[in-house]
Amino acid sequence: MDKVEVPSGDQALRVDGLRVAFGDFVAIPNLSFLVNFGEVHGVIGPNGAGKTTLLDAITGKTRPAEGRILLNRTTDLLALDEPERALAGVGRKFQKPSVFEALSVRENLELALRLRPRSILGELRNWSDPRRKARADEVLDEIGLAARAETPAGALAHGQKQWLEIGMLLMQRPKLLMLDEPVAGMTATETAHTAELIRRLRAPERAILVIEHDMDFVEEIADRVTVLHGGDPIFEGRMADARADARVREVYLGR
Amino acid sequence: MSDARVHHPGLFRATAGAIAAVAVALPLLGGVMGGISPYFANIIGQIATFALLAVALDLIWGYAGILSLGHGLFFATGGYLIAMHLLKAGFEFGGITPDFMVFMGWSEFPGFWAGLEHFPYALALIVLLPGALALVYGFVSFRSRVSGVYFAIITQALTYIAMLLMFRNDTGFGGNNGMTGFSEVLGQPIGAPSVVIGLATVSVLLLLAGFLFAGWLTSTSFGRLLIAIRDDEARLRFLGYETLWPKLAIWSLSAVLAALAGALYVPQVGIINPRLLSPDLSIEIAVWVALGGRGALSGAVIGAAIISALKFWLSGFAPDLWPFILAGVVLVVVVVLPNGLLDLRGLLHRRPAFGNILSEKRNG
Repeated sequence: MDKVEVPSGDQALRVDGLRVAFGDFVAIPNLSFLVNFGEVHGVIGPNGAGKTTLLDAITGKTRPAEGRILLNRTTDLLALDEPERALAGVGRKFQKPSVFEALSVRENLELALRLRPRSILGELRNWSDPRRKARADEVLDEIGLAARAETPAGALAHGQKQWLEIGMLLMQRPKLLMLDEPVAGMTATETAHTAELIRRLRAPERAILVIEHDMDFVEEIADRVTVLHGGDPIFEGRMADARADARVREVYLGR
Repeated sequence: MSDARVHHPGLFRATAGAIAAVAVALPLLGGVMGGISPYFANIIGQIATFALLAVALDLIWGYAGILSLGHGLFFATGGYLIAMHLLKAGFEFGGITPDFMVFMGWSEFPGFWAGLEHFPYALALIVLLPGALALVYGFVSFRSRVSGVYFAIITQALTYIAMLLMFRNDTGFGGNNGMTGFSEVLGQPIGAPSVVIGLATVSVLLLLAGFLFAGWLTSTSFGRLLIAIRDDEARLRFLGYETLWPKLAIWSLSAVLAALAGALYVPQVGIINPRLLSPDLSIEIAVWVALGGRGALSGAVIGAAIISALKFWLSGFAPDLWPFILAGVVLVVVVVLPNGLLDLRGLLHRRPAFGNILSEKRNG
């Protein structure tokens, strides 16, 4: 793949002075960082570095003690609840594949599209809106599951569930797409397929934030990485440079 | 169709057909042609109300994944309201003073009994009161994200509190003796064979209506939303759905269905007392649904019918055995049949689809 220089797109996500604590345990003491539109930004770090906590704070699962999180420069995410943040354009793939197992692949995707974000009742009433099916068809092609459209999601292989969940997020064309360890537990073929999918998803109107343990995978997909350690960013830049950084080697790569 | 959804259109149609056949047979064989005794019709009518109660529980447990161990509360609310209507109407139109008033030495009904002699008012209360109760409790619980076993335990506790309240003699609900001595229903003598058979038929018809309605509802996009809540509520919230509202809607609907079932049950057994609010009944409802198979409305009806029929039969000669049998059923379901009797189909016909899933290449 061709390496891309740090993209100069407008900022999609701005985290300022974020502090997250659970009782006496401070998971993230003071974190600030930027993700720009058009880039794939990797967040890596050893276990307990605060990676998932960061996603929890951005999506609303955890309430930070201090700080500010802005989407697209203007939207104050901390003022919104979880569903509102999703509707504002924040899509999150969970670490464990989270799909609706009893529903078909197509139904999973269709449910993920909100044509009438203000009212669930309105959404249900307009279920047969042709745009829903059309968008689902597009995404089915994009994630490569068109042939499995009518299969119950519970019957999919592990990797396919992960792709379906990514597809569910794509339905709404999120501004910020966050993937929490998307290739954990995948076979080599599935991992390659996922890397290809993520590269294809990179778009000028979208920022992609990937949390991952697999360094090679991150190097393959990410334009820029932030290395977290104890909730602090100890490195920011290209993955190749991260591998060479003495501090990063000490806390992470050396193990 | 997906197996995981436990969607069985054939079984659903067969169950609906069977319920409809009973609804037709009851007035025919019970009245005009003979063959069904009022005693037997009464048992069928009671079982029909249990089956409707099971359908109500399946809607929230089997489809939305919310287990209630307190549906006896809504069932009993409907039951108490209809009992109050029957006693008040018997007093106003028949001049019969209810036993509990004689016992308490009261000559007048408590104020909140006013107007209950009118059936439309009583019916409105039977729908609105449990509905409002469920709305308030559901709103508080769902908004605070109380779910799973905690939700179930609180429903059980609420029901228990209601039982303790109803055991008090000074509350105007009949106290520990409950309410009995109903004389007439809608102006007809309640013990007459035609009334007994009529009540049983109405129960079966209401079961049929509730069953068809629940079947329709779960097949709509709302039904898919419920299944999504059951399968992964957090995922749904992070897709932008405030799940509070759909949960509240199905929870309240389920409560109203349970109350309607209770309102038909009490005139048929001729008594209501606080024991209807004991934990036993509420847990038994969950056992009916678990035995029949969650998330398949037919399963709820079949489970309720089998267990209640067994209980009626056993109560004739060995009522003491009942708790052991019920516990045995629970063990069998938990250990052998996680999807209840629906699993029997899988055991009988080895499903090729299962093999396919396992042998499928892990590469899309």
